[in-house]
Amino acid sequence: MSHMINVDNVTKRYERGGEVLTVLDNLCLTVDQGDFVSLMGPSGSGKTTILNCVGGIDTVDAGTITVNGEDVTTMPQRRLPDWRAQNIGFVFQSFNLVPVLTAMENVILPLQLTPLSRKERKAQAIFALEIVGLADRMGHRPSQLSGGQEQRVAIARAIATDPAVILADEPTGDLDRENANAIMELLQRLNTELGKTIVVVTHDHVAAEMTKRILHLDKGVLERTEVMGTAAAGASAGAASGTAAS
Amino acid sequence: MRTPWRLVPRHLRAHWVRTGLTAAAMMVAVFLLCFLMSIVTVLEKAVSESSANRVVPQSAVSLFVELPLDYHGKIAAVPGVENVAKFQWFGGYYRTPEDFFAQFAVSHEVFFDMYERDMRLVEGPNGPVGASGLSADEVSAQVIQAMSDNRRAAIVGQGLIRDFEWKVGDLIPMQSVFVPKADGSAWEFEVVGVYEPLKANFDDRTMFFRWDYYEETCNNAGDMPATGVGTYSVTIEEGYESGEVAARIDALFANGPQRTWTPTEAVFQATFVAMLGNVPLFVSTIGGAVAFAIFFSVVNTMLMAARQRSSEAGILKALGFRNGVMGRLMLAESILLSLVGGGLGVSLAIATQEPFRQMLGAMLPQYAVLNETAMIALGVSLLIGVIAGIGPAVTLSRLKVTDALRSEG
Repeated sequence: MSHMINVDNVTKRYERGGEVLTVLDNLCLTVDQGDFVSLMGPSGSGKTTILNCVGGIDTVDAGTITVNGEDVTTMPQRRLPDWRAQNIGFVFQSFNLVPVLTAMENVILPLQLTPLSRKERKAQAIFALEIVGLADRMGHRPSQLSGGQEQRVAIARAIATDPAVILADEPTGDLDRENANAIMELLQRLNTELGKTIVVVTHDHVAAEMTKRILHLDKGVLERTEVMGTAAAGASAGAASGTAAS
Repeated sequence: MRTPWRLVPRHLRAHWVRTGLTAAAMMVAVFLLCFLMSIVTVLEKAVSESSANRVVPQSAVSLFVELPLDYHGKIAAVPGVENVAKFQWFGGYYRTPEDFFAQFAVSHEVFFDMYERDMRLVEGPNGPVGASGLSADEVSAQVIQAMSDNRRAAIVGQGLIRDFEWKVGDLIPMQSVFVPKADGSAWEFEVVGVYEPLKANFDDRTMFFRWDYYEETCNNAGDMPATGVGTYSVTIEEGYESGEVAARIDALFANGPQRTWTPTEAVFQATFVAMLGNVPLFVSTIGGAVAFAIFFSVVNTMLMAARQRSSEAGILKALGFRNGVMGRLMLAESILLSLVGGGLGVSLAIATQEPFRQMLGAMLPQYAVLNETAMIALGVSLLIGVIAGIGPAVTLSRLKVTDALRSEG
């Protein structure tokens, strides 16, 4: 099976108040095509940072990241937006819908970057909203939707362009248990039925256990990998030994 | 590069209170700007549209010192002089002093020839141009004839007809401040024609009547005989230079009894403008201050909008929109807001032209918001929009996606 995401010896440092913090420390991990992976770890372990780097919205100081065969770390800044539009679907913790647009218009937003006609964009957006079960709410503004519904619209927006990878940063963080489960079930469906490669950052064990594998990060290194649905949790000695791929 | 332009009106509508208040502030500022600029342009236009081939001999001492009546013939004899008309300020009022407008006693024999390019007669004793097949030439001829037949005849501008609801044939009683009749009765004038100005320097709220009626009435009053005339108006013969002829006139009277100063009509008009002080500078300063103040108001609005838009900038960038898209949206929002406010201001200024013209009365009878004034005001609105939007636009464009997503919008 080919690696959809390959993180190879990635280091990322921040400077705060004159102090240099190493957020990712020679991190190595891989995610296969069609995989459904969660990243867990304490605050500051580098979960969101690696997600942002994989999505091309943050840069690395060293190492390489390839997504769908393309090296994101050496890609010219000018190309990144187009690449993101074609390959990545983002889902954020606080939903991040544009408040002045309806659910339908929010889903159409990334489709504006495709060569689709207006009619095709509309059809595609309706299809995405149908997948998340919100076709009947397409004319509603985010303020007229519940938190769970907002997140489903955000997921519809993420899948509207049929990207290779969906990156979800704490998608259930602002939701109650019931809605959180519903969102995770939706992501599971996208993975199993549409074959989407999904990486979820979460603090929520229940949510994480609904993914196929859990990658535990700590202090910027991959500490261990849990393969769900199997008794054995594969422990990794760390980034140096290799990957989280099964 | 694709830009989701629909966000621009959506954001303006979503924050309708802020949008409305900023647009209203912009509207008031641009309205004021139009009003002030119109005052200046009307004054300047009166000067710029003055005839190049007319000069106005007047006393070198003051406009309030009259020139002797025998100067008329002497000026007419100066080489290069085509026509000379007496011009005497009457200074009367109709009904009450508040109903003030300009009145001049003029040499009616030459007046119509001298000012045929400045105004045209649109109504005479037999009706307006077009009525009963009357041509403009026929109306002119009838008015000129009526002026020569009737010593009390007067022509008035369309503005006076409109304001006082006069009509041709009406007898107009006027009280004169400077030359009251001995018995205290009113002067009477009969409207024989109505004119329409063709130039900005010729206002539509003036009455012209016969000099000989003025002279005769003054002389009969006893204590205020017409011994002189305020100014002469002189047209220059073709082939002669205005300055050269003016110099000859002044040289002729260099030794008195009254020395003359003979400016061109444009300079003469300009001295009136100058009497008001440096109005253009004063008005421009106020206009500039107003524009500057409103600029800060729009900047403040756009900065607030930009701060609220940080998170949205992050979303759009994460979705794959380029950095410049947020900048363009912000700039477009600022420009649209400024233009809407500015457009309303210009519309208000145009809509209130007439009431303002009436309010300003004889001081600025030709008050009007000219097309160029409206265009300049819209240009200023556009400029304010661009400058106010450019800072927030650059800020949002440069914002890192990760920082933008962390911000609260």
